[in-house]
Amino acid sequence: MSTATSEPALAVTDLTVAFGRGAARSVAVDGVSFSVPEGGSFGLVGESGSGKSTVLRAIAGLVPAEAGRISVMGRTLGPTRDMVFYSTVQMVFQDPYASLHPRHTVDRTLAEPARLHRKPDIERRIEEALEQVGLGHGFRFRYPHQLSGGQRQRVAIARALMLEPKILLLDEPTSALDVSVQAEVLNLLDDLRRERGLTYLLVSHDLAVVAHMCSTVAVMRGGRVLETLSAETMRDATPAHRYTQDLLTASQGYREDS
Amino acid sequence: MSEALLRVEDLWVRFAKPTGGVVEAVRGISFEVGRERIGIVGESGSGKSMTGRSILRLVRPPGQVTAKQMAFLGTDLMAASERRMRQIRGNRISMVMQDPKFSLNPVMTVGRQIAEAYRLHTGAPSGEAARKTLEMLEAVQIRDPERVAKLYPHEVSGGMGQRIMIAMMLAPDPELLIADEPTSALDVTVQLSVLRIMDRLVRDRGMGLIFISHDLNLVATFCDRILIMYAGRIVETCRADALMEAQHPYTRGLLSALPRLEDGQRRLSALQRDPAWREAPSVDGYL
Amino acid sequence: MPVDPVPVDPVPVDPVPVDARAEAEAKGWRAWLTAEAPQSRLQARAGQAWIGWLAFSANPLAMIGAAIIVALVLMAALAPVLATHDPLAQDLQARLTPPGEGGYLLGSDELGRDIWSRIVHGASITLFIVALVAATAPLIGLLVGTVAGYLGGWADVVLMRVTDVFLAFPRLVLALAFVAALGAGIENAILAITLTAWPPYARIARAETITIRNADYIAAIRLQGAGPLRIITGHIWPQCMSSIIIRVTLDMAGVILTAAGLGFLGLGAQPPTPEWGAMISAGRKFILDHWWVATMPGLAIFIVSLGFNLLGDGLRDVLDPKAQGR
Repeated sequence: MSTATSEPALAVTDLTVAFGRGAARSVAVDGVSFSVPEGGSFGLVGESGSGKSTVLRAIAGLVPAEAGRISVMGRTLGPTRDMVFYSTVQMVFQDPYASLHPRHTVDRTLAEPARLHRKPDIERRIEEALEQVGLGHGFRFRYPHQLSGGQRQRVAIARALMLEPKILLLDEPTSALDVSVQAEVLNLLDDLRRERGLTYLLVSHDLAVVAHMCSTVAVMRGGRVLETLSAETMRDATPAHRYTQDLLTASQGYREDS
Repeated sequence: MSEALLRVEDLWVRFAKPTGGVVEAVRGISFEVGRERIGIVGESGSGKSMTGRSILRLVRPPGQVTAKQMAFLGTDLMAASERRMRQIRGNRISMVMQDPKFSLNPVMTVGRQIAEAYRLHTGAPSGEAARKTLEMLEAVQIRDPERVAKLYPHEVSGGMGQRIMIAMMLAPDPELLIADEPTSALDVTVQLSVLRIMDRLVRDRGMGLIFISHDLNLVATFCDRILIMYAGRIVETCRADALMEAQHPYTRGLLSALPRLEDGQRRLSALQRDPAWREAPSVDGYL
Repeated sequence: MPVDPVPVDPVPVDPVPVDARAEAEAKGWRAWLTAEAPQSRLQARAGQAWIGWLAFSANPLAMIGAAIIVALVLMAALAPVLATHDPLAQDLQARLTPPGEGGYLLGSDELGRDIWSRIVHGASITLFIVALVAATAPLIGLLVGTVAGYLGGWADVVLMRVTDVFLAFPRLVLALAFVAALGAGIENAILAITLTAWPPYARIARAETITIRNADYIAAIRLQGAGPLRIITGHIWPQCMSSIIIRVTLDMAGVILTAAGLGFLGLGAQPPTPEWGAMISAGRKFILDHWWVATMPGLAIFIVSLGFNLLGDGLRDVLDPKAQGR
């Protein structure tokens, strides 16, 4: 275990994830490698079934990796995750309507991680976390159904921040939100990264969102990374791969030809 | 543009809450639809979907629809009997919903569903319906229509499912198609091919299209005319190619909240909502 | 800390002072209950309960069901006051008196005991059976079902096959076997009913758990390091509760009938205890000439069963999580 600063915050090497056995075996992620420097922001784009979300879930330990190596802050992960991992890496899910327990108040949702990790000053932490995501005390004792989609996603972000993690895994954090709310949440995520020196791994199907948030982007298709390119290359629309070009064109809206 | 297919005047949709009080989903909007592609854009809760549904009188109780006028080619949709509405639905006005998984019957092959829908509306014999089914599947660019017609809905992909829905909805040659977020569940590349098919069919047949969406970019590039809805009212209407020059602060706010590839990582401007927008009178969306 | 001045909310929330509770109370408890921004756990919970009550009380049939159950509880509590006779006192002179005659409100039975008084005193026995079964069977079912559903694999196979074995027996026959083994009596009847009543709850809880365990909010709590025990009790149970509670109230009619059936067969409450099933059993000999002896306790069972069914339907409307929120 080493903690040298030159180590990337998150490194994934030849990650393979497969579901099912025998004839029913299907490979969702096929030899994916990338690394994210500390304080960096890395994007994974692709269409549904490209395996981008599965990469995230494999890192989080929610699905088992079949092969490959994942290391976090220089420490290679085994097949099971421990409390140190959970306090270093947290995740924000796609659908804020599904990621908060419908029968728990915001207060309970935020208190739970702190209690699990035996953190002191839970009261203060909850108030601070709410403050940070732009929700006041007035939201603390509400149930999810009393919140709008954007407010729920703020609560989910606050929950992820309760353990003061270093790395956030963001799984399409704004795709269920309206445009104006998406802008607010993206700005919030930007601010948090700058202030806390967080490292982001963002998964999205929306190229504009990824280009906005990330400096480096990997394009995935059929479980593989087709190419890794910088945000500038994406902006200039000069990718090496034809598929990436198609995605870029498609994201510009409808055209009658082609 | 020619005469209006549909004219809606002062449409309201209200819901009584169980805890008392009334929610007004649509608050007195007026618009016309010609043989054109009209886009209704807005955020969730703006009333755009309710508008689409109330045209076909598909709003369920406790929802209540009222309008001064809702006329479709001379038929008063507000006064029409439920029987008359059933003849209009699907036959003369069709609707495509967001998720084909919920709109297709899971225990019937797609071919049979298209054929039955066609026969129901036209009374055609089964031989003709079968022929029409294959023709429609071909029209939505499904490569092997004979094979696909024998598949069940769970055996087709999302994009193909949505194309099948469109084939089914367009088989009886309706004059107006209402598409409520028809492609938001699809991947971008698939989305565009589905839109292209829909676009071509609508043009070739001279149909009217109401395209309901939250995606400004898409509506601006796909439609002819746009109604922008906010809090149950139309705040602005414009030609689609002039959307970027829109005047209303809400429309402008939405446009600048959108991350754009070419803008780099500048901070997105958050939309500041003005309570006065809610109260401003609804803009007419007449031709 | 620079944060966007956002929270987009359809309803503007006033900045509330910390000690807003007293202030809100000045506006009345109704305002406190329906506050958009509750200030404490208690208020949040009370507010939820209040909304539930509003929905429940808007359903007239459910209210009738609740009224019947409340009446049953009152009847059991006030039995000494409501009863016009000693339920065990015999008067052979006045045996089989028709209803309304000789001071016997619902008539008298073959030993001249007042049927009304016996029904009133029997209410507490019925309540006792219902309460004990309702408190134990769902708990066993919930435990077995959620553990099987959440853990999956071998635990699931073993637990669910055991459940299947219990489900494969007709309930009354299994209860009969238990009572025969344990000896007749009201306690053993309850035990037998409980042992035969839990498998359906295990089934429901397992089915619910299997859908819940893949939810994002369970993934989120796993990512915070929570173990299976915490996830099952703290996160899965609250989600299963509503369907279990609904099922329990709907099942209560069946429990009463099973208890009555055991009583009828002479394996439940023993004479002279005024248990309703046993009363019907005793009255069946006279059903043709003296209809009231069996009919009156039968009516009592019918009304209470109906009450529980109506209540269950009403609760379904209130507790169904799919109907809530959004």
